[in-house]
Amino acid sequence: MRALTRGAVLLLASGLVVAGCGREENGEGTGGGAEAEAESVAEGEATGTVEVWAMGAEGENLDVLAEDFMAENPEAEVRVTPVPWEAAHDKIATAIAAGEVPDVSLVGTTWMGEFAATDALDPTPTDLIDEDAFFDGAWDTTVYDGTSYGVPWYVETRLVFYRSDLAEQAGVEEPTDWDSLKALATGLQEAGARWGLNLQPGATGAWQTFMPFAWQNGAAIVDDEGNYALDSPEMVEALEYYASYFEEGLASTALAQPGELESGFAGGSIGAFVSGPWHVTLVEEQGGEGFEEQYTLAHMPEQETATSFVGGGDLVVFRDAENREAAWKFVEYVSRPEVQQKWYETVSALPSVESAWESGELADDPKLALFGEQLQDAQSPPAVPTWEQVAAVIDAQIEAVVVGGADPAAAVAEMQAQAESIGTGG
Amino acid sequence: MTAPTHATTPGPAGPGGAVQPAAPPSAAARRGRPEGRDRAWVYVALTVGLVLLVGPFVWMLLGSVKTDAELRQVPPTWLPEQASLDNYRVLFERLDFATYFTNSVVVAATVTVGNLVFCSMLGYALTKLDFPGRRALFVLVLGMLMVPGMVIFVPLFVIVSNMGLTNTYPGLILPYLAGPFGVFLMRQFISGIPDELIDAARVDGAGEWRIFSRVVMPLCGPALATLAILTFLASWNNFLWPLVVAQTEDMYTLPVALALYAVGQNATRYGLLMAGSVVVVLPIIALFLLLQRYFVRGITMTGIK
Amino acid sequence: MATAVATRRPANRGRRTPEPRAIRRRRALVAWGFALPFMVLFLVFMAGPVLGSFLMSFTDLRSSDLRTPLAVEPVGLDNYARLLSDELFHQAAFNTAYFVLVGIPLTMALALAAAVGLNSGIRRFNTFFRVGYYLPVVTSIVAVAVVWRFLLQPDYGVVNTVLGWVGIDGPDWLSSTTWAMPSLIVMAAWRNMGYLMVIFLAGLQTIPEHLYEAAELDGAGSWARFRHVTVPLLRPTLLFGAVITGIGYLQFFEEPFVMTQGGPLNSTLSVSYHIYNQFGFGNYSYAAAMGYVLFVAVVALTAVQFRLLRPQT
Repeated sequence: MRALTRGAVLLLASGLVVAGCGREENGEGTGGGAEAEAESVAEGEATGTVEVWAMGAEGENLDVLAEDFMAENPEAEVRVTPVPWEAAHDKIATAIAAGEVPDVSLVGTTWMGEFAATDALDPTPTDLIDEDAFFDGAWDTTVYDGTSYGVPWYVETRLVFYRSDLAEQAGVEEPTDWDSLKALATGLQEAGARWGLNLQPGATGAWQTFMPFAWQNGAAIVDDEGNYALDSPEMVEALEYYASYFEEGLASTALAQPGELESGFAGGSIGAFVSGPWHVTLVEEQGGEGFEEQYTLAHMPEQETATSFVGGGDLVVFRDAENREAAWKFVEYVSRPEVQQKWYETVSALPSVESAWESGELADDPKLALFGEQLQDAQSPPAVPTWEQVAAVIDAQIEAVVVGGADPAAAVAEMQAQAESIGTGG
Repeated sequence: MTAPTHATTPGPAGPGGAVQPAAPPSAAARRGRPEGRDRAWVYVALTVGLVLLVGPFVWMLLGSVKTDAELRQVPPTWLPEQASLDNYRVLFERLDFATYFTNSVVVAATVTVGNLVFCSMLGYALTKLDFPGRRALFVLVLGMLMVPGMVIFVPLFVIVSNMGLTNTYPGLILPYLAGPFGVFLMRQFISGIPDELIDAARVDGAGEWRIFSRVVMPLCGPALATLAILTFLASWNNFLWPLVVAQTEDMYTLPVALALYAVGQNATRYGLLMAGSVVVVLPIIALFLLLQRYFVRGITMTGIK
Repeated sequence: MATAVATRRPANRGRRTPEPRAIRRRRALVAWGFALPFMVLFLVFMAGPVLGSFLMSFTDLRSSDLRTPLAVEPVGLDNYARLLSDELFHQAAFNTAYFVLVGIPLTMALALAAAVGLNSGIRRFNTFFRVGYYLPVVTSIVAVAVVWRFLLQPDYGVVNTVLGWVGIDGPDWLSSTTWAMPSLIVMAAWRNMGYLMVIFLAGLQTIPEHLYEAAELDGAGSWARFRHVTVPLLRPTLLFGAVITGIGYLQFFEEPFVMTQGGPLNSTLSVSYHIYNQFGFGNYSYAAAMGYVLFVAVVALTAVQFRLLRPQT
């Protein structure tokens, strides 16, 4: 029935112009609004069918966990539909519009604000899911307007990758703060790298490389009241620091083409870069045998803090889910530490649950353990529905400074002005 | 037909123009087209063009047997260092290939046939039948061609969903079964068919359907072949619509299924991407090979006027 | 537009005595019968969404309203007014115009040259050439992007290497605000010429043989034959090609998407790319308004093309 109403909507949208039926008085539609109440989930085994959408490798391999879950809950059936990452966002958005949602879906962390604001997501039942089990930064990705609308499933965070062999040759130490990171980049360049440190000069996602530096310097995207606070002196300083790599010829102002980074790092023309766990496999594949000895990872440099970016994927349950109870039970199941470890073994997705890092390969492998350590100090952007648009503004202003030679202070003021005019949506 | 009034303007004869070979006359000679040196130049020019055009295709073919590491290499390599069919193996092992291929064929073939029939019908009406509203109808069709697809995507999905057509073949097919592109194409081609021919058939007492199917359609071989190639291509490659309409994996079409594994959240598996692209492209090339034979002069056309 | 339609009026009109009304009505009925299947599909699957999205452009619908699209406020022309002050949109409009004005003639010329060449009576390898020229249309855009980046790479790229032979120091094509757009135009022409070539090839088949023979008897050379037989008779097809290319090019998106992401400094951001971004940001009504401005631009361009390429009778 609801679907019928919605169909009429777009055809008869004229009615709205004439009749002037509009938003509710607070101007926010029904989305979001005040803190939503989470319903509890009954105890006991899950029953019935749970439809799950999951992307990429996660979607492909989720059957492994689904089978375990079904063994534990013989009355339940989990049906997984793998969805290509490429258009997953659009598929979820159209599904919400048409009211044809699954019970559970994987959602990229930076989409959370947008989907939560549609009121399509079910608030996380706090009696079932323990917030404290997760990394703080990861949990924050699920929180929209004071309420959590999902559960972090897997995480990723950014570290400094650098060629330890070249660093040794140049006699530079592991970077610990901004100055020593600069020294590392300079040293790597002296040791033969064309670019000391690869940083993204602009274009989609540049903010993910830049914002850690801003956070390290004490800058923030929003203040405690949730208003944009981009135009701080700390932000300007961070942008100046970021831009200095380009001015000093340590970083290339040309956008790295696909493959250029991995290939350049393996070949020694790029001395260092900042990226996430997937790059461990990529560079080792590129560098061939023995390459794992030639490079190493470093924690983010410390200024005020040593903060990094945290991203990944959250699991959400839709309000329109046909089997809400079993859906949440499944989500709870996949966030158990032992299941998270098994999931890591299956698709190398890093656990969002802290205790899953305490044993096994994640604790023993020094490179992996460093990701776990960095996750203790990692932030995510605020889950506001307009985030992607604000992110694009930050990307554009980074490019304006780095490539276009704009003044960092002016660029930061422009970021703030544009972010304010975009608003936090809702 | 528009008379070529300027064709009689005298001009210098081309080098081969005056030479008429003895029997049997070649196709080129019958057409009065370049001979000898002229033709050699045509071949040279075409070959140069060909090299420039097929480069990326060849790279795609070669890329599909390379490893991901080699594909990421900068500068890129042409010949694979270690050719292997692993990418294809992965695709075929992981994908329920028969299902996706069947879905793709059913959808693309139905859409193509629908466009051939319905668009020619309207194209015929728009050019050879006089009726009130004809001009407005044409402008409307043309207008539809110009609305950016992105704009109507969400409303279209809501409508299809309300009709209960998600996860069904009709949901995948109906919105594309008769497109404005085909109408415009067929209208332009049918407008080139002499009215005399149709009038003659009318005088002989033929009904409009008969004229359309027995007189006009046989003359439209090249146009129908073109429409078939282009419609099939568009439908076959369509990605977003089938992804959104399909609610379960078994309704995915080939491009959707192939995209599942190639593009990740943060990294792309280029080997799978290239192999997938090759797999998707082969049926299209086969169809092109099959249909390009119709790019020959309509014989019936020549005797008229 | 009207001119083109009018010239294709059935020959009977005006020549015979007016037909009885009954016959005319019957004929109209038959005509609408031919239009029926298209019209039904059109009304359900196109008119509805178009009307809906058009009305949407007069509201403040954004992604957070997805579940309750009725609960939006009508905002009149606000979205359209906002376009006037959107500097990015202005830049995108300029970029798109640049792309269209250079890209259409270039693509048409290349496609026509290829079609005429392939139709010039060569028999050997004809199929081979035809398929080869069509390949860019079907080649994965990702593969195309890799090879084109390789061609355009500043240090070792093929283009700059060749320029180096004649002493020219080529720029970093894709990172230059001056050269990124021309690079994409050439790439788009390269990708799309095969598509138009297919259409032109089909059009060339409709030119009666004997006209070439007659021209040749009159002593017309190959250029004169092309100029005075091929071009005038190919007009309906050329018009079609120009309109289709115009529609496609005004919605230019894929090339900057894979090659430059609209950069550097938005120098290759197109209107469609901007719309795509706005949809991604969830600004549905604003994106729809932009879509309809683009629609008006396409209509205007098409009207000009119909005027320029109308059949000369």
